Amino acid sequence: MPLTPMEIYKLLPKTNCKKCGEQTCMSFAFKLLNREKKLEDCKPLFEEKKYEVQLKKLREILKPLEKATETGLIVKSELCNGCGNCIVACPVHVEKDPHGAGIGRGPRIRDPIYRIENGKLVIVNMHLCRRYGKNRILCVVCRENCPTDAISFLEG
Amino acid sequence: MICTGCSCLCEDIEIQDSKILNACEKGYKHISRFKESKAKNRVYGKEVDLDKAIESAVEILKSAKSPAIYGLDTTTVEAQRIAVKIAEKLNGYIDDNSSFCLGEFVEAILRKKIPSATLDEVRDYAYVLVYWGTNPYHSIPRHMSKFTYYPRGKKRNRGYDEDRFLVVIDVRRSETAKLAKKNAKFIKVEDDLELVDSFERALEGKAPKYDVAEIAREMKKADFNAIFGGLGLKYGLRGNYEKFFSFLNKANKFAPLYFIPAGFHSNMRGFNETLFEEVGEVNKFSFIEKRSDPNFSFPELLKNKKIDVALIVGTDPMSSLPFDVSEKLYEIKKVVLDPRETFTAKNAEVSISSAFSGIECGGEMVRSDGVRVKLEPIEKAEIDDVYILRRILEGL
Repeated sequence: MPLTPMEIYKLLPKTNCKKCGEQTCMSFAFKLLNREKKLEDCKPLFEEKKYEVQLKKLREILKPLEKATETGLIVKSELCNGCGNCIVACPVHVEKDPHGAGIGRGPRIRDPIYRIENGKLVIVNMHLCRRYGKNRILCVVCRENCPTDAISFLEG
Repeated sequence: MICTGCSCLCEDIEIQDSKILNACEKGYKHISRFKESKAKNRVYGKEVDLDKAIESAVEILKSAKSPAIYGLDTTTVEAQRIAVKIAEKLNGYIDDNSSFCLGEFVEAILRKKIPSATLDEVRDYAYVLVYWGTNPYHSIPRHMSKFTYYPRGKKRNRGYDEDRFLVVIDVRRSETAKLAKKNAKFIKVEDDLELVDSFERALEGKAPKYDVAEIAREMKKADFNAIFGGLGLKYGLRGNYEKFFSFLNKANKFAPLYFIPAGFHSNMRGFNETLFEEVGEVNKFSFIEKRSDPNFSFPELLKNKKIDVALIVGTDPMSSLPFDVSEKLYEIKKVVLDPRETFTAKNAEVSISSAFSGIECGGEMVRSDGVRVKLEPIEKAEIDDVYILRRILEGL
């Protein structure tokens, strides 16, 4: 199940107390998902006892965030068979490595985003990904071309 | 190095800091486990040295009335050539897995009955790619990413979603079929012969039974299209290969359409080509009658009790063939050449330990599209299939 800001918002205090530094609880939920804020920044959630159940649930649904990389990518290596579709389809690989991954070979650049190591997909350098940094876009090419859904993103 | 895990023969495998890079899971397991459960030289269950094992093998083969050589799909072309010579010397049968795999298609390509191309040409020029009765995700994992759908080629450099049209034909929605999204089509087939008919009608502009009109339109747009046929296609045709071949030739009047068999052992095509060069047939050949016949395939020979000795190279028929066939193997004498301690090797009268082609010993193999590849082994074993087979030939 993809995690949405709305699901997080539903479990927050919804008082817009601004103690976290955000204007609304909804914007806090967004930043929580982007990992710009931490759950601990929401003070009422920890101070007031009536939010105890909500806090427990929040911690549970935010667990996948710990596993995901900075771009929200999760690789389930038990599902991967190393076909390499993601590596060859990746637009960044095609641009940076036109004579390696671009034409179907294993990546020839030093720090590719992905590489197949011992038959499984491994994330080598997340910083090259189009989903990373200031001008990021929500690229899902690798996920779309995985035959077994071994690649997923936090947003679904 | 070159991976010999399947017929793709990927040449970009690297080993860095004891990690195997770029190989798929299938290839990784093939390469990394070559030292596990090695076969031993055995004669009637007793461990012996190599010379004694070869001597006993020669004795058994000499005493044979009607011997057969079987397997050879995972060994090198050099070893296959010697094996053909042994079969000739023994006046026996020779066969490999292609008799129940894709041998008919390779034969048609070698006899130039149907047009075929190389996978490098497919990468550079192909537009419509049809996977018919095959699931490359399991059998040839890197086929799509390395040669066909995903890589950018000389004339097809805008990526898979614009410059390729993927068609997956299968009886169920396989992993590969899930990739058929935009600019692609999945056909759930019930009768392959009717589908061949539908393609013919669609290309002629008539109404087809299956929904293939769009595919025919796309094929006519391009100057290079390819069909990758697997075992699903072979058994779906129910023996009517000629109908499929005539469809391919007819289709070429409307749009260039090439056929490449997909998904088999690393050097199955190599065996077909080697035997074709030597005797003009691709498999199931008898040196007594000097012809090939469906009755001369290894499973048929066993069923009909036509052989008394089998020289089995690099395959495990006791595990892989159906029980009513493999149980007949107990009634004949077996000489097994295998690097791995297989079930057949354990039950063989003579078992000789060999080396893994491509990992421990070099040579030449033939990729599924007919391109010859020189292997780059990472270790150097002195005793390999070529050495053992040559000594058996000398002994005979």
